[in-house]
Amino acid sequence: MNTPEFKGTHLWDRLCWAKENLEPHQSDYRVVYEDSIDECAKILVPDPNWMACALQGGILPPVWVYHELAKDEAEEGFKKHTRGYLLHETEPMEAMTEEEAIEYLIMKDCPESVWKTYNEGNRPKMVVCTKQQLPQTREWRNSWKIEVAA
Amino acid sequence: MAGKIIADTIETGAGADISTSYVVNGSAKAWVHFDGTGTVATRDSFNMSSVTDRATGAYTTSATNAMASADYAWTSNASNQGAAYGAYCVEGDATGTKNFNGRTSSNVRLNTGGYTAWDDALSISSVYHGDLA
Repeated sequence: MNTPEFKGTHLWDRLCWAKENLEPHQSDYRVVYEDSIDECAKILVPDPNWMACALQGGILPPVWVYHELAKDEAEEGFKKHTRGYLLHETEPMEAMTEEEAIEYLIMKDCPESVWKTYNEGNRPKMVVCTKQQLPQTREWRNSWKIEVAA
Repeated sequence: MAGKIIADTIETGAGADISTSYVVNGSAKAWVHFDGTGTVATRDSFNMSSVTDRATGAYTTSATNAMASADYAWTSNASNQGAAYGAYCVEGDATGTKNFNGRTSSNVRLNTGGYTAWDDALSISSVYHGDLA
């Protein structure tokens, strides 16, 4: 199915079209990252309806739009977005491969401090893996305890 | 889109009418229902881009169409079917101290758990209401 010509169409309307017309795509990819040494690793799971939009093309805005909105929001005294039109009026992205979509999603939903320098330092802060490579239980988390001598 | 209907009111067959602004302003703008146990899996959603599993019983949901301000309303609930306790929610990060790419699109943080500690829940729902950017 071809995506309608969504020029200047509100992003919400584009998502409504996608919800009605596209099959959700459950990605096997997961993004594991650390953004704080005091917290355990986070696992980002792509939304299946969002992934369908990314693979279809012509629906999602470029990721730089979110960065622009984030800059506005970081301004002191921010009350309300005044550049929301960027979401709706910027030319939508072409169809992405699943790998390209994951890279886009990392730049949208992971902290910038992680993805900009993920491979610097003495170990990577972020990896992309498949669902099967993740432990299936939480036993690996908080799994150590300090034994208190009797 | 193929067509556009412009109307100020909607009327039922029984003659009751409301302003379309009730529909526009009152509709949920984003929602997600996911399984928070094991490897997190989204069951269904609208206007969401991802769910992040932050720790045991802790999640972040992210929207595709950002909200207009950080003052939107969100509600969440959770349940663990068959478990000895009911799971519940929630925590919001209105301060933005864990801001990912802005609270308006990417920072609703949920916690679920039983009576004494956070725990993963089998069925978690989150809904956003408010104005879209």
